[in-house]
Amino acid sequence: MLLNAVIIILREVLEAALIISVFLALSQLLNRNLWWMLLALVLGFGGAYIYAVNLSTISMAMEGTGQEVLNAVLHSVIFLALLIFMITVPHQRHQQWRLINLVTIVLAVITAIIREGSEIILYIKGFIGIPDLLSPVLMGSAVGAGIGLSVGVFFYYLLVNMRKSHGIWLGYLILLLIGGSMVAQAVEFMIQANYISATTPIWDSSHLISERSATGQLLYALIGYEATPAPQQAAAYFASIGLLIMAAGISFIFRGKAS
Amino acid sequence: MKSIRLFLLLSLLATITLVNFVALLHGYQSSMERAQNLFDSRLESTARLIASANSEQAIQQGIAEQQTPFTYFQIWDSGGKQLLTRSRNAPEFVTGELSEGFHEINFDSYRWRNFVYRDQHLNRWIVVAERIDVRYSLAEEVVLESLLPIVIAIPVAALIIWLAVGIGLKPLRQFADQVRGKRADDLSPIQLERVPYELMTVVSNTNALLGRLDDAFHREQRFASDAAHELRTPISVLKVHLHNLKQRLGEGDEDVALLKAGIERMGHLIEQILALYRTSPDQASARFEAVDLYKLAQTVIASDFVNFERKQQQISLDGEHAVISGNRFALETLLQNLLSNANKYTPTGGEIRVSVRQLEKTVELKVEDSGPGIPAEQYQRVFERFYRVHGDRHDSGEPGCGLGLTIVSHIVDLHHARIQLGPSSLGQGLGVSIEFPGEN
Repeated sequence: MLLNAVIIILREVLEAALIISVFLALSQLLNRNLWWMLLALVLGFGGAYIYAVNLSTISMAMEGTGQEVLNAVLHSVIFLALLIFMITVPHQRHQQWRLINLVTIVLAVITAIIREGSEIILYIKGFIGIPDLLSPVLMGSAVGAGIGLSVGVFFYYLLVNMRKSHGIWLGYLILLLIGGSMVAQAVEFMIQANYISATTPIWDSSHLISERSATGQLLYALIGYEATPAPQQAAAYFASIGLLIMAAGISFIFRGKAS
Repeated sequence: MKSIRLFLLLSLLATITLVNFVALLHGYQSSMERAQNLFDSRLESTARLIASANSEQAIQQGIAEQQTPFTYFQIWDSGGKQLLTRSRNAPEFVTGELSEGFHEINFDSYRWRNFVYRDQHLNRWIVVAERIDVRYSLAEEVVLESLLPIVIAIPVAALIIWLAVGIGLKPLRQFADQVRGKRADDLSPIQLERVPYELMTVVSNTNALLGRLDDAFHREQRFASDAAHELRTPISVLKVHLHNLKQRLGEGDEDVALLKAGIERMGHLIEQILALYRTSPDQASARFEAVDLYKLAQTVIASDFVNFERKQQQISLDGEHAVISGNRFALETLLQNLLSNANKYTPTGGEIRVSVRQLEKTVELKVEDSGPGIPAEQYQRVFERFYRVHGDRHDSGEPGCGLGLTIVSHIVDLHHARIQLGPSSLGQGLGVSIEFPGEN
């Protein structure tokens, strides 16, 4: 039970911790205020709680596919926020762009916490009536959260202590991969809800790196690793990364001309 | 990195958490394996015990008393066809296969681990089984008990790291406090209770820098005082020669008048430069005392009265006694400069009004004249060094060097006061109002 709890919580915490730490580090490297993080955390946890409490209503919606659809929407919102963030970063000199940039960061962090936080609340809530299982679940959750947050702290300090330009580029790279992972997961939810037809996986690398192993979890959070991805997932993953690179590149080229 | 303390706390805590928790998971897995082995050997022993307890050829037929719902046993004949006896909760059929060793089977909606033992002596099969989920829970309970302190230790470690880092950074904090708390004229070396190796270079280089700065200030002070002395003497000599020249050429000689004006201007300039130097915040902040501004104004007016009398100006002092904390010499210079300006720029027969008033929390000093005044757009510029209204072609014809109000603004800053220029209440002219913080 402990190991299951560790894996489930680690998966959720690691993903949220990476998004938050990369945004925190990039905000610091781009000389932004950090007050927004507190606001985003409070709103995010509030949203996660509301989501978890209303899960049954959400699940029943859209002929029983409400939860999958909402999760797909949340992942898509994170991707869109990343896309707008990357477009607005090169135009930091303009007040309006800076504001949009800040709003997208707050939006991405709130959405990530709602998505991952609600999963954690739901998972732990499921064991509250079972005293025998609650203590291993709580302990596993503490261990998973501890490992996930520690990795987040390391990433944050790695980025802020690198040479500024290197830190920004590495932060960008991680955001690209997170963006790809978000879209791939959104597609996965749509497959689960039968909005996209399921096909056989294009590869199976579970014998190399299992999704349930610690390495698998880290890779999942970092690059959206899937041992058995559907072709649509893989296509969405690479297409979204391509879109992010293209948008960021065009925005960078036109950085002096926008007003 | 915004804070060294926070960085050290978070990075150390993250390291400890990561290392400990990964070790914990490893420990958990190996402990669980050991616990499973222990349960297996217990199962095996139970099977042998049941065999030895039923060593008679004819065993009691029927159902044995129930021990625990999580375990059961069966005794089968050699062919596995006849169930000789069983515990109450045991199935009446063969679960899995009757081959010696451990097996995992499904029964009664649960997963069970059984051990099949072949009693060679009596030619029977003894099957002992245990619910896997219960075994697992029991093992987990025991293992978790031993791992719990590692999880609880993390917040404790956080607290200890926070305190330890705080103690470690104490010399750095002391160093920062001493640098922050230094007065402008305090160039004494920084002294820490103990200087850690990492701070040695910083402290020694800072102290060396402070030493060099102190030497430079002393040199400057000596130079200013020597220069003043050396310049005052030849000016006095010049004044004597001027007097002699005036005797010889007569009072009305134009060249003598110009020479006299030039010497007076030079003398004034030297005095003002010295005053500017002496009243700079670096030099004067240390010597503060309680000063009655009204009384001081009285003294300054009395000592300079001859100048007002010469121009037949009417000077008055209003208000009441008001004490402020300040540097007496600097405040005297401030009053002298304000009154000298008023005297210079107020025409003959004009009026000058000085007032000192105790307000609620401040003390206000006001000097107003009936001179030509200053255009409002030049209020800020008159505080600049060597700035004179209308430049060198000032129509007052009075000697001046453009340092008077700069010195006044220095002294105002030194006393954390506020200065405001505005029109005079005497119909025309300039009104200078300074608000000093009251003595508390």
